[in-house]
Amino acid sequence: MTGLEELLTARIATVVPDAIGTAHAAELRARFEDTGYTRYALLDRGSYDELRAPREPELLAALITVASEVTERTLELAEARVLRLVAGDYLLAHHDRVADDHRVELMLDLSPAIVPGAAVHYRRHGNVYFEVPPRPCAMSVVGREPSVSCSHSYVSKRHADAVVVRLVLQLTCR
Amino acid sequence: MWRAAEPFPHLVIDDFVPADALAGLHAILDEEPVDRHEGDLFAFEATAPEPTTAELRGLRDAFAATLAPALSTITTKPVTRVEMRAYAYRPGHYLLPHSDHQHDLARALAYAYYLPSPEPPLGGELELFRCRVEGGAIVATESECVIEPRANRLVVFDVSNISLHQVREVLGGLRISLAGWFLP
Repeated sequence: MTGLEELLTARIATVVPDAIGTAHAAELRARFEDTGYTRYALLDRGSYDELRAPREPELLAALITVASEVTERTLELAEARVLRLVAGDYLLAHHDRVADDHRVELMLDLSPAIVPGAAVHYRRHGNVYFEVPPRPCAMSVVGREPSVSCSHSYVSKRHADAVVVRLVLQLTCR
Repeated sequence: MWRAAEPFPHLVIDDFVPADALAGLHAILDEEPVDRHEGDLFAFEATAPEPTTAELRGLRDAFAATLAPALSTITTKPVTRVEMRAYAYRPGHYLLPHSDHQHDLARALAYAYYLPSPEPPLGGELELFRCRVEGGAIVATESECVIEPRANRLVVFDVSNISLHQVREVLGGLRISLAGWFLP
């Protein structure tokens, strides 16, 4: 990409509502559950369940197509993982994997219900510039330059049965 | 007692202030403006880093003058000054695990003093974690000690790159504290 293309891609930050049906989201949650999550618990960085490289090639291909249309770029998958947060969980900004190239982050909210306050924040030089609110079945597409970090906010224990499931794709421009 | 405390050096002192002095503390805090603060690590209400009233500055300086000599002896960390803010944690407020240690700041010891609350808090405990370090990096964390925010209790703990601690989420009531650091 040229410098101008990189700049334009980095400034993309949008939410696409109803990107997936609730029944399909439930099927995916069940399949991820069957595959199994791994607990991450270095508590100075995060507390969450993770499933790396979910085997959903058709879904990933469809999401990448949508993201390519949104960004008007040809995108390809660099990494995919599923994050699951329950009450008391979080993922701090300084634990975020910051790539040294320009990327696009796609996130599909597969949560069964809205969990109040369970947002995702994108920061540039420490300042929040884009918030993805809790919205089951919505998809966000956010351009990420190396100075951008991402955090998944603390899930309050006042919502004891809360479950947040997010499919997160890191995409690179071809 | 200081060095033997696990998972890292700390002290817990109950009934720290004579009971007849507690009303005076509340009166000082009533005059201090409080703002809401929220980040990925925390959500709480707090006064400004530098007190705006002469009364709270006086309390901070008296706290330092009273405790710093003894703490310097007990901890072998020479301290003279104190940073102090008042905090209010309401339901849903928290401070996630962190160490307080920053290379560009001279924080030697951390402290929290819990004031009586009109609605004693449910939750809001101070939790200390044991860290396992390999090659200079934390590779495992485990809860080791939970300290209730009991009224008129002072907690002092060491600040280092492994002094991992958190304030558990307050689930009800109101947690009021004075907290900050002792500095050289």
